[in-house]
Order: sequence, then C-alpha cells, then structure tokens
Amino acid sequence: MSTTVIKVLETCNDPRASANDLQRIISLDPILTARVLKLINSAYYSLGVPITSLARAIVMLGVNTVKNLALSFAILENLKSNGSFSVFSSEEFWTHSLCVGVIAKSLAAVKGNTPQGLEAFFVAGLLHDLGKIPLNRQLPEEYHRAWETAGKNQDTLRHSEIKFLGIDHCTVGCLIAKKWRLGTTLVETLSHHHNPDDSSEVDRDFVFIVSLANQFANHLSIGSAGDCVIDNQLIEYLNGKIGVEWTILHELGETVLNEIEKAKIFLEIAQKG
Amino acid sequence: MKLKFWGVRGSIPSPGSDTVKYGGNTLCLELRFHNSERLIIIDAGSGMRALGDNMISQNPQNGQMKAEIFLTHTHLDHILGLPFFAPIYNSRTNLKIYGPVTCEEAPLKEVIGGQFSYRYFPVRENELEATIEYVDLKEGSYDLGDGIQLTAKYLNHPLLSLGYRIEYCGKIICTAYDTEPFYNVFSTDSADPSYDELLASEGDSAAREENQRMEEFFNGADLLIHDGQYTMAEYECGKKGWGHSPIEYIVDAARRASVKRLAICHHDPLRSDLQIDELSEMYCSREFSGNMETFFAREGMQVEIS
Repeated sequence: MSTTVIKVLETCNDPRASANDLQRIISLDPILTARVLKLINSAYYSLGVPITSLARAIVMLGVNTVKNLALSFAILENLKSNGSFSVFSSEEFWTHSLCVGVIAKSLAAVKGNTPQGLEAFFVAGLLHDLGKIPLNRQLPEEYHRAWETAGKNQDTLRHSEIKFLGIDHCTVGCLIAKKWRLGTTLVETLSHHHNPDDSSEVDRDFVFIVSLANQFANHLSIGSAGDCVIDNQLIEYLNGKIGVEWTILHELGETVLNEIEKAKIFLEIAQKG
Repeated sequence: MKLKFWGVRGSIPSPGSDTVKYGGNTLCLELRFHNSERLIIIDAGSGMRALGDNMISQNPQNGQMKAEIFLTHTHLDHILGLPFFAPIYNSRTNLKIYGPVTCEEAPLKEVIGGQFSYRYFPVRENELEATIEYVDLKEGSYDLGDGIQLTAKYLNHPLLSLGYRIEYCGKIICTAYDTEPFYNVFSTDSADPSYDELLASEGDSAAREENQRMEEFFNGADLLIHDGQYTMAEYECGKKGWGHSPIEYIVDAARRASVKRLAICHHDPLRSDLQIDELSEMYCSREFSGNMETFFAREGMQVEIS
C-alpha cells in the first residue's frame, strides 16, 4: 500500500481524527481531492457557484461523509493501482502535483490574492494534470510510447500524446472537470495550463499563475509528471504577464521543498506508526 | 395547503405513558392541496403506518391511490414505516419515491428497497403489489405540475439530508430536518499543533455563508417545520455534530428569515410530554418568538395554510 493510502485509512478509521487531519491528508492527494470536489459539485451544482475549496467541501458535507468517501476511495484505489502508473511513478507524480499546488498558492499570495482565495490556487495546481491519470491507466502501452518518443525527440509530452493517442491530457482533464462539475476556473486550468493565452478572459490571470507554477516545478525538477521539456521561454513570458521576477520564483523554491518535506514526514509517521 | 403530522418524534419510535400527548411515532407528514388530488408525503417514519391505514379507510371502493413520497434522508427512523404502509400492498397504488442519494452513490431503489429482504422483513420487494418508481434527488428546483413548485436543499447532517420548500398558490411550506447549524469544523485554537490560520478562516466563512443560505432557503415561509431536538445547553454538552438543532438557534434563525409559523419537530426520544410543555411555555412565548407563531409539533395535529 502507498503511504498516502495507509495514512488515509488510518486517519479515517480514527474517530478522534480532527477535521484538520482530514483536510491535510486529502489535500495531499490530487485524486482524492478531485473526488471530494466531484461529490460536492455534483450535489450542489444546481444552486450556483462551484466549490473549489476542500475546506469548504468538508464544512458542507461534514467530516463523516468525507471520511467515508475517502475510506471507500482509498480501498478502491489500492485494489486498482497494481502496476498502474507505467510512465511516471505515483510518488513522482504526487510530488509534481503537490509542488505545482504549493507554487501556485505562493505566487497567488505574492500577487495579493486574499487568504480565503489561496486554496483554490492550491487545488488547481494539485489537479492540473488530472487528465494524465486515465490516459496512463487505460492506455499504458500507448502512453509509454508517447512518453518515450517525447523524451527522445525533446518534444513536449502533450504533443506526443496527441500523436500517439489522438488526445492530450489537457482535453481529458477538461472532460473530467466538466463531467464532475468542478467549475469553469478548474475547467479552464486543466484545459489551458500549457496554452494559457487561450483561456477565457475572466480566468486568464488564474490560469497564468498555475501555468507558471507548472513550468517552474519542471524547472526545479521537483517530482515529475512525465514532461522532460523545460520551457524557459514560457516562464519568461508568464513572468512578464503576471509581474514576477526570477528571484521571487527562486525564493519560492525553498518554500516548496519545505512543504513537500513536511508532507512526506506527515505521511511517513503513518508508516512507522 | 393542509398539512397533517402523522409522526413528530426523532431517532426511534418512543411509545409510552410519557409521550402520549406529543406522540411517539417518527416523522411522517401528509400534505394536501386545495383544488388538486395530489398527495405529498414527507418521510416514511413509523407515523406512516397510521397514514396508510387512513388512506385505505378513505378509499372503500378500492379506487386508485397515488402519492409522491419525499424522503429527507435514508436514516432508519425516516424509512422504517414504509413496509407497514398498507397501500404498498395494493395493486391500484402508484407511488413515486424521491430522496437524496447517499455518498456511496447507491441508487435510492437499492437503499430503500433493501428493507424488503428476508433478513429484515418477510415480504420481498418484488412481491409488493404497488407500482413504485424511485427518483434520486439532488439539490435543485423542480416543477411538480399543478402549480406545485419544489426546491430541495442539502442540510447539515451526518448523512446527506434534504430540506424541502414547497410553494403553491403563493403559500410556502418548508421542512428543515434532520439538520444542525453549519459550524467551523477546523481548529480555531492557535495553541493546537494542527492549527492552520487559513483553514480556520476558510471554515469560519464557509459556515457563516452556509447558514445564510439556509435562512434564504426558508425565507418568508408561511410554515417552517424544523428540527429542534435539543436545547442549546444540551447541544453544547456533547451533541454538536450529531446533526440536530438547538431550539434557541432555530427560533432566532426563523425570525431573521421572517417565517410566519415555526413548527419544532424531531423531538428527542427521551423528551417527555411534560418537558415539551415546559419548553413550549418558554420558547413559544411572545417574548422569545416575537410575532412569529412557534409551536412544538404534535402527532395528529393539522395545520391549514391559506
């Protein structure tokens, strides 16, 4: 069992586990976060603004409902996960997703977003590559070929996905976000984090930040979601659009490493305990 | 609209000499409409048995019986009356059962129909004579036809639970049970090792906004039927998180939302008639409820909204 699954099981089976523990453990897992948001938005969609904050989802659904969901999901995932991530290890993918989430949240804070709005950036960063998961699981051989060829040709994984699978993870992510009713901001982020200029005007600044976070995570080589091309030109372009300097990005690098280290320690406590 | 309370008790049927006046049957409401034959039943608690018997006695020619049953949620006290609802064994009965889907995403047919299996009951589902259609319900607004508009809203209970707002000819009846006020589930104590300032602030605003939405949901209701299982003192002494409301809070919330009449229901199984009379004296007073008419729902009670 992965450390995340063990920790989810431990937290959810512990009647004394607090809402803070629950939020923490779920927020470290992109798939589980997406599932909770799917549940809340499928249920609440008809009456307005989609919920993109995990904390809000826990207040609305209640700790028990979220615990039950996480429990059943963790068990299910464990059964399904044998030999799943063929291209990148789940650990690497998790680290990359978490890294993008932390950078996006930090950048949003630097740019003066309100504290209440920061979690939406974290969630979007955490989920931006959601579309890779079904592609990797359902078409493991084709996906492996796409990844291998991208590496050989120094091409982006996204271009290679289209060549070998006829569809890229952005389109798949967009379909999932729409189907799970995760709201337009997440739909735009999952669809356009590689081409942020194509995102809708209203969400463009948001997508710029997540896109930059993604590129900078690759630049720092913290974790991997299969992309070997580091697009420094795009980083320069986005720096200009958002109004941040390389120095700020490098300062964030340390925060990111600390956050990931903390998360790892948090997960390892479960394994040792 | 005319509403009859066939059961008002919460958690478990509570018969006995202490509950004769307010009744021991769990929740079941019958809603009838002027100028329409439609029958809406809200919840299938143990009070449903007597409602079913009444429907049979009012139908001596064995004509067709139709009802739409709206379940607030699928906890046992809200569904255990269904197997004892006599019309369900009549081939001339048509039932449409609406209710929220659970977090496991099992369809309502499975959750409710599961009661009709040998391990729980001697009659199996496929032996039932009535024609039953199940409709999984989510939060939203629905046109039920004949000028009846229904809005369903998720409440705050350990299991997904729906409140219903029914509007007909300009009059509004709302149900909000089982539920408790939303509250910040995250630690707000900065000395707590798991304290997170952002999380605490997000939890605060989420709870505040959800409570606001709840008041908007029952705003202007001519009759609000609300969970009031506890007093504030009881609620704060170990009952928080159980999914039931303190009376003091709901009276205030209903007043803020300009509710005209408030019926408190889902009485605690341990609450005696005498205790409810004492609570009535305190909370239904003009001093406490202002111009709003507040009362503790009683089994057999009928309320006319016109």
